[in-house]
Amino acid sequence: MTDLKRFSASAIPAELRQWAWNDILARLGLSSDATRPDTTHDSGYIALSVSARNSVFVHLTAAPQTLTALASQSAPPSSSTVLVLALLDGTAQVLDADQKVQLRSGDIMLLDPNQPWHLTLQTHFRTMLIKLESSSFLLRLVRTGRQEANRISTQQGIGTLCLNMLQSLTDQLAHLDRNELPALETTLAELLVACLSHKHSDALDDTTDVQLAHLRRVCRSVDSYLDDPELNIEQIAAQEGLSVRYLQKLFKNSGTTFSEYLKSRRIQHCCIDLANPTLAQFSIAQLCYRWGFNDAANFSRTFSQIMGMSPKNYRAAPPQDLQVQLQRGCPQTKPSTRSAYAQPQNIPLDNAIMQQRKPFQEVLDDHARYVLSLKLAPKRLPVMENTPPTQSNTHTPRQYYLPASDKTVHWGYFSNEIKPVLNIRSGDIVTIETLSQHATDDSERMIDGDPGAQSVFHWTRTKKNVDRRGAGPMDASIFGRGAGEGFGVHICTGPIYVTDAEPGDVLEVRILDIQPRPSCNPLYLGKHFGSNAATWWGFQYDDLLTTPKKREVVTLYEVHQHSHPPHAKAIYNFRWTPQTDPYGIEHPTIDYPGVPVDHTSINKQFGILENATIPVRPHFGVMAVAPRESGIVDSIPPSYFGGNMDNWRAGKGTQLFLPVAVPGALFSVGDPHASQGDSELCGTAIECSLTGIFQLVLHKKQNLSGSFMEDLSHPFLETPDEWVLQGMSFSDYQAELGPNAQTQVYKNSSLEAAMRDAFRKARHYLMKEHKLSEDEAISLISVAVDFGITQVVDGNLGVHAIIRKAIFPDYKR
Amino acid sequence: MTEHICTSSCTHGISAESKKDVTEEFDTARRSFIRNAFVGGGAVSLGAMGVSMSPMSYASTGTSSNTVDADAPGPMHYYIPATPETVLWGYFSKIAKPVVEIESGDFVTIETLTHHANDDAERMVKGDPGAESIFHWDAQRKGVDRRGAGPMDAAIGAGGGAGVHICTGPVRIQGAQPGDILEVRIADVTPRPSGNPDFKGKSFGSNAAAWWGFHYGDMLTEPKKREVVTIYEVDARGERNWAKAVYNYRWTPQTDPFGVVHPTIDYPGVPVDHRTISKRDNILRDIRIPIRPHFGTIGVAPAEADIVNSIPPSYTGGNIDNWRIGKGAKLYFPVAVEGAMFSVGDPHASQGDSELCGTAIECSLTGTFQFILHKKADLPGTALAELNYPLLETQDDWVLHGFSYANYLAELGPNAQEDIYSKSSVDKALRDAYRKMRHFLMTTQQLDEDEAISLMSVAVDFGITQVVDGNWGVHAILKKSMFPARGRS
Repeated sequence: MTDLKRFSASAIPAELRQWAWNDILARLGLSSDATRPDTTHDSGYIALSVSARNSVFVHLTAAPQTLTALASQSAPPSSSTVLVLALLDGTAQVLDADQKVQLRSGDIMLLDPNQPWHLTLQTHFRTMLIKLESSSFLLRLVRTGRQEANRISTQQGIGTLCLNMLQSLTDQLAHLDRNELPALETTLAELLVACLSHKHSDALDDTTDVQLAHLRRVCRSVDSYLDDPELNIEQIAAQEGLSVRYLQKLFKNSGTTFSEYLKSRRIQHCCIDLANPTLAQFSIAQLCYRWGFNDAANFSRTFSQIMGMSPKNYRAAPPQDLQVQLQRGCPQTKPSTRSAYAQPQNIPLDNAIMQQRKPFQEVLDDHARYVLSLKLAPKRLPVMENTPPTQSNTHTPRQYYLPASDKTVHWGYFSNEIKPVLNIRSGDIVTIETLSQHATDDSERMIDGDPGAQSVFHWTRTKKNVDRRGAGPMDASIFGRGAGEGFGVHICTGPIYVTDAEPGDVLEVRILDIQPRPSCNPLYLGKHFGSNAATWWGFQYDDLLTTPKKREVVTLYEVHQHSHPPHAKAIYNFRWTPQTDPYGIEHPTIDYPGVPVDHTSINKQFGILENATIPVRPHFGVMAVAPRESGIVDSIPPSYFGGNMDNWRAGKGTQLFLPVAVPGALFSVGDPHASQGDSELCGTAIECSLTGIFQLVLHKKQNLSGSFMEDLSHPFLETPDEWVLQGMSFSDYQAELGPNAQTQVYKNSSLEAAMRDAFRKARHYLMKEHKLSEDEAISLISVAVDFGITQVVDGNLGVHAIIRKAIFPDYKR
Repeated sequence: MTEHICTSSCTHGISAESKKDVTEEFDTARRSFIRNAFVGGGAVSLGAMGVSMSPMSYASTGTSSNTVDADAPGPMHYYIPATPETVLWGYFSKIAKPVVEIESGDFVTIETLTHHANDDAERMVKGDPGAESIFHWDAQRKGVDRRGAGPMDAAIGAGGGAGVHICTGPVRIQGAQPGDILEVRIADVTPRPSGNPDFKGKSFGSNAAAWWGFHYGDMLTEPKKREVVTIYEVDARGERNWAKAVYNYRWTPQTDPFGVVHPTIDYPGVPVDHRTISKRDNILRDIRIPIRPHFGTIGVAPAEADIVNSIPPSYTGGNIDNWRIGKGAKLYFPVAVEGAMFSVGDPHASQGDSELCGTAIECSLTGTFQFILHKKADLPGTALAELNYPLLETQDDWVLHGFSYANYLAELGPNAQEDIYSKSSVDKALRDAYRKMRHFLMTTQQLDEDEAISLMSVAVDFGITQVVDGNWGVHAILKKSMFPARGRS
């Protein structure tokens, strides 16, 4: 069993948060300044392990704050403890009486806990902090130098090794027990001693991963400020905690300059806008202002210089491949072939320089492609301005119908950058069609004759209507499965923009009705079908009795929705055989969603589960608002914003409350299920396309005081008889696990952690909404709250706590 | 997983020296039992029993008319009151002298006492002769000395508190052999009314948020490591189907009558001195907790050791702590030793799935059980074929019990009774529940593996039974209505 203890600030009621936070930090011998009332640590995460030698290992992710050593305040100095700080993300400053040391991500710093210093974390940060016991030699070294000398250069050599070690230590903390840590402590101490005796080197010319990582971050930063005409290199440098010179060097390494790069990004965005017919009503000047040009003449000149034609001509006849890029999903041709940023021209370069430049250029290339694939084209807000909310009929909800088509779905990912397909106001009612990503298991029954499904699943040798499926790279450079790599599989309809929704608000999703989608094939007209795949990510996969041991089996079900009681019966099953998709890629397992199954290649077994009549529980596996994180997020692990919770209780007559993370909330729904058991054991449910009627109600932040919705930091489900608190191994896995979260979450989840999260959320809810003391809440939970296993197949494992409303006969919200 | 096959030399935590003690102790108990002869067979001595020892004349309420076995001359109905001679405190034992020997089809009404009654002796012990005799403890003598499977000379108290539940029994079933299945039908469950006239018509239970709870050390408010006892009231007349909290208090170090100080709840049945605690009233106001009366600990004796800690559940049942084990439920246990040696205890008025804080509403109950023996030879082709774990059948569901270790005594070897506490996980318990459900569907419904797995994913619910009993539990619930064509075999 792991010895790791994890804490999330959001699981602690606000009034206790500060105190609890410091209580945990005290284990490191630190205290935080957060007694200041203006600092709220609602986004703090701590993973803590104590070694057999009492060294304390802490992975800390949180908002800006200042830390000081407790030992320097209280009397007895501990003789041989050193504090090791590895700043993994963010910037920081160590300040003592006479000097100041600036830290940026990737830096390691050694601190003497007996000295009076302040560590100011200036940004949202992620760090590994180690209180290293019994390191008196190291401590002596630390004391001899000035503070500046205790910062370890991690650009190369032994410093890099040290950083790598600390990074892997961070990733593996959950899997190291207290008796394994001392060996690592010894190694670490030796490495650190070697680092301190090492001369600092400024050899920055080396192409290090750190530099590339910095460049990547800078690119992201630049992109988010493109609309600011005043944007300059100083601003970005300050933002990222890097020096201007260093930044200049990064761009020089890539064979360009900052201003060239900025210009090219702006022009590229303008190209997209100019080619977009839906923006035809905007003048060229209006469009160029959106991207930070403040002078139309200057824009025109720059554009012509780079693109070889005037903006007007470009708009009249946009190049063909850009049209392709404007389809939903991703371009098939590499956009970089028309990449607008400056290529070094007519300068003969020798191979060595080219070689050195290559990885840097790739970073810029990848970034451009990534942004394009998100189809930033029409930014959200200008489009919204076309439909100003009218004040007249706010009391009557408007009705909308949102069909599923290649224009209204995003497949396998969430992102706050996806253009909304519908703009509604609080209280409006939307009928939303959702499609199961497993429909291609039997296209005859689930797709044929259905224009909506056909438009989404359409995939021939030349055309794939929805190219991006998942959050992976569009060029499938990791596994080669296909665009998006299937890192995320669910077809989500949306997003829907809710007027006035702001971060801190709560979106209530009322599910008024759910109906299965009838087959449109004349052979099966009006019948309902679903597919259940026992897959490689299922709980059973490595634990089969009969051979072949590693097999995937798809079972087709018919859903008899209109019989009494509604139920499902199995029709046939087949073993997955390697399937070749229309692009010629073979899928030996179910590794990419929507691959059409060739029914001549499989062997169907009928007459299965003949005696079993399965009660139906129609529900949506995925309901989400857009995450606050930038970029594109795998749809599989559920998180604070909802997502793939896979709880069958989210059916007709229930309300789901989600914390709004971005303006407009951006609600999406998908992964429809006809039925599922708690645990979703084999990897999927009866995956069956459904249409739901939803009412979306916005609760503004300012009206939530004292209710459970105040500071809600996780999805909350209400059924007619119960409240369901959804615990997950990581309540906010991205914040907790850092940049590799989307990989790490699949490795580090456990049911214990999910159970702990569910317990803490249930306790928080009872204390906050029902005003119970902690002791009352805990007793009540033990005697009356039921914990069940929601799912064990979505990376971030789920355990839910069910509180029956009957327990509170007098309660009114 | 270690392969361990128990041999006669296995001790499972009982050393050679203490073995002698154990045997001697049982001999003493046996002698005293024969002298007292509290329990007789048949209705005649039963009537006498109810008058002399039972605080309620429950014995005559008519389950005996619900005869099931048609061929016998008619099942007998026995009554076992809870007395020092009819209970084992904190352990299961295949060598304990049975309190009654019955035949398949017979009914037995069994009183069970909660081991938390001394949290408020005024409400739960006083005026109740059965409870008073068991909980009796003065400077000279304890009503029941051994509490737990540990050594008799443990510093903390005899038996070391290694096992805490007061289990009434064992009941020996004639003809039961290893390999058979014992079916136990729970015909009725009623709460035990307070014997104190001040609380007439009421029953009480205690919920302790204890150091072995899932929450312990993960508290928001100070002191972080505290134990809190909450007393609940249950309607003994059965008119109200909900419980309400009366008061709570923080555990303070308690000195038992032998002079040992108990800083935490480390030994069962320590009388709480109410002058040392501070009671908080008006807690959990306006809250109604729906009651789910059930028996937390119920099972047959395991074969692996002579005396086994009552806390971790195992293949023979024991401390399963599933609230579904209430009135109307049927349990099936694999018989491990001759005579099966059934015992029952740890009565609960209500509990949530997970039993998070360590205990339920621990409330003394009386149950009426019918015992039916299924001989090994008759099992193939029935739902009980190849059953090697406790299986629960309720009105609507089959409930299979998975544990972190299906048979921890065999899997973990000689130190099993200690090791189990550090080796459990919910993930392992789910793995076990999955395998048992697959086995059940393949054996009893003749599904192939692929059918079983698909069905499990789309229609079987997995829940967390408990995370506080050493060997953690996950249960799998299968709706019986899914197989309308078959019904129960």
